[in-house]
Amino acid sequence: MILSKYPYLVQREILHNMEISELLLLSFVSKNMKKLIKLSQMCRFSRISSVDYSSDPKGLTDVHIEFKHDYREHIMRIWEYEEADNDYFKLNVSGKIIDFRIHERYSYPVASFHSYDKVSVIKSIHNYFLDFFGDSIEYWWKAVGYKHVVPQLQNVSASAIIFDTDKDFPIRKFENFFFSSPVFKNIELFFLTKPEPLNPDSKFYQAESVDIDQHEHTVPAILRHFQGRQAFVRCHKCETLELKEFVDRWKSGESFRKLEYLEFNILHGRVNQNQLLNAIGAKHIDVTKTPPTHMLPKVFVSFGKKETTDPIISHTYVVRESDNRVASVLFERRTFSFGVWDKTEEEFLEMVQ
Amino acid sequence: MSSTEQGTSSAAPAEPTTAPESAAAPEVPESFYYVHGKDKVVHKVSAGALQHSALIHGMISNLGYTEEQAKANPFPFENIDGDILQMVVDWCNQHKGKPTPPEDTNLPKQKEKLFDLVLAVNYLEIKELLTYCCKQVAMMVKGKSPEEIREIWMIPTDAEDEAAEKEAKKRAGKEAAGETAAAAGDAK
Repeated sequence: MILSKYPYLVQREILHNMEISELLLLSFVSKNMKKLIKLSQMCRFSRISSVDYSSDPKGLTDVHIEFKHDYREHIMRIWEYEEADNDYFKLNVSGKIIDFRIHERYSYPVASFHSYDKVSVIKSIHNYFLDFFGDSIEYWWKAVGYKHVVPQLQNVSASAIIFDTDKDFPIRKFENFFFSSPVFKNIELFFLTKPEPLNPDSKFYQAESVDIDQHEHTVPAILRHFQGRQAFVRCHKCETLELKEFVDRWKSGESFRKLEYLEFNILHGRVNQNQLLNAIGAKHIDVTKTPPTHMLPKVFVSFGKKETTDPIISHTYVVRESDNRVASVLFERRTFSFGVWDKTEEEFLEMVQ
Repeated sequence: MSSTEQGTSSAAPAEPTTAPESAAAPEVPESFYYVHGKDKVVHKVSAGALQHSALIHGMISNLGYTEEQAKANPFPFENIDGDILQMVVDWCNQHKGKPTPPEDTNLPKQKEKLFDLVLAVNYLEIKELLTYCCKQVAMMVKGKSPEEIREIWMIPTDAEDEAAEKEAKKRAGKEAAGETAAAAGDAK
C-alpha cells in the first residue's frame, strides 16, 4: 500500500481518522509527511486551545492537547528510561536523538530521558511541538508538587498545585522550587500545617495569580509581599489591622502596583465591617445610586471553575494617592473583596448611576 | 443482492406479489442497472443500492433507461478490478435504504485489497464506505513506530523524496527544452 498514490482528499480523510499522538509519530517518518499533516489537518489543529505538560510529584510528565470545548487528548508521556524495556526506537527530535517506545495499553509515544538529560529532552520535544502545532496556541506546564523544578521553555506559562502532605514541610526545597523555576502564572497552595514564612524575595510572590488555602496559618504573608495581579485566599484568622495595613500600602502606592483583584475569605476570625471601613479611610457612594460592577477574567481557570472573578458591587471604595486609581472594597459574609479599577476617581464616579 | 450475469451467482427475479385490493397505491417496480469492472463480469444492481455512489447516481439520474436498454449498456469501470467491484456492489446492496452503522467490520484486512478498494470507492464517490475504508487504513498504523509506519504505507525517506524531486525537475527541464526546440523547428 503506497499512501502517496492516494488522491489528496483520501490522504486527508485517513489522517483525519488518526489520533494526534499517531499523527505525531507519523510526522517523524519524513519531512513531506510532516508537511502533509500540517496542511491537511490545519482545521483540526485550529481547534486546539493549548498543549499542557502535566508533571506529577514522581517526575512523570504527561502531555495533553486541550481542544476548545473541554475535549482533551493524551499525546505523549515523558518518563525515565527503563532498562528492562527492549522496545525502544530512536527518533531525531529537533536535533536530539531521543529513545521512544509505544505505551502498551494506550498506544501513545513515551519519550525517555536519563537523569542527566531530562531538561534537554523536554526542550527538544517542546521545540518540536512549537513547530508542529505552531506558536499561536497556549503552552502550559502544570506541576503538581514542588519536588521537580519546572524547566524554562519558550512560550510556556507555568502553574503549580502544591499540598503540604509532608508532616515536616521542607521549606528549603519549597524555596528552591520557586527559585529554580520560571515565574509562575498561577500557584494553588493547600496548607493544613503552618509552614515557616517564605523569603519575601521568593519568586512565589511574583506569580500572576495565587489561590491559597491556609487553615492553620493566620495572616498570610501574601498580604505583605504579593506582586502579582490576582489573589484568592482562604485563611483561618485575620485581624482588622492586617487588612488595614494591606490597604494602606496599596493606597500609598509602595506595594501591590499590579494588583487587580484580592479575595480574602476569613474562615473563623471576626472582622468588624464598619471598623474596617473606617480604618482604611473608605469613601462612600450615595446609597440611592448604583455603583459599577467590578469583574475580571481570571488569569488562570481551573477545570470546572468560573472564568471570571466574583462581581464586586460596592458603595465603598479607596483611592491610590500616587495615581488617583480607585479600588472597590467590599466586606461581606467573612470575605474581604478588593477590586482595582483602571480608572481615576473622577472616571470611576462617572460610572455611578 | 446483486446478480452476476456472467459470473457465479444469479438471482431469480422475485415473482410480483398481488397487492390486496385495499392497498392505497401499487408499489413502483424497482429499476436496475448494470455495471462491470476490468474483468467484464456484469453486476445487476438496483437504483436504490446505487444511490450510495454519487458518481453512478449522477450518471443514471434522468437517464430513463428501460430494463432492456440498461442491460444493453452496462456502465464500464475498466479501472476497477472485478473482485473489488463485487465488494462495492455487495456493500451498496447490504446498505440499501438503511442508515449506515458507525463501523464496518467486513472490510478486507489485506493491505493491497484495501488499497484498491479505497481507490475504487473514492472514484465512485461512495462517501460512507470511503470513511470506513479510511478508518481501516488509519487503524493499520495504530501503535506502530515511525519506521513500521513507513514500511506499512511505503512512505519514501527524505533522501528518496529529494532524489525523486531532482529527477522530476530534470525531466521537466528536458521536456521544456524539447518543446522549445520543437517550437524553434516549427518557426523555421
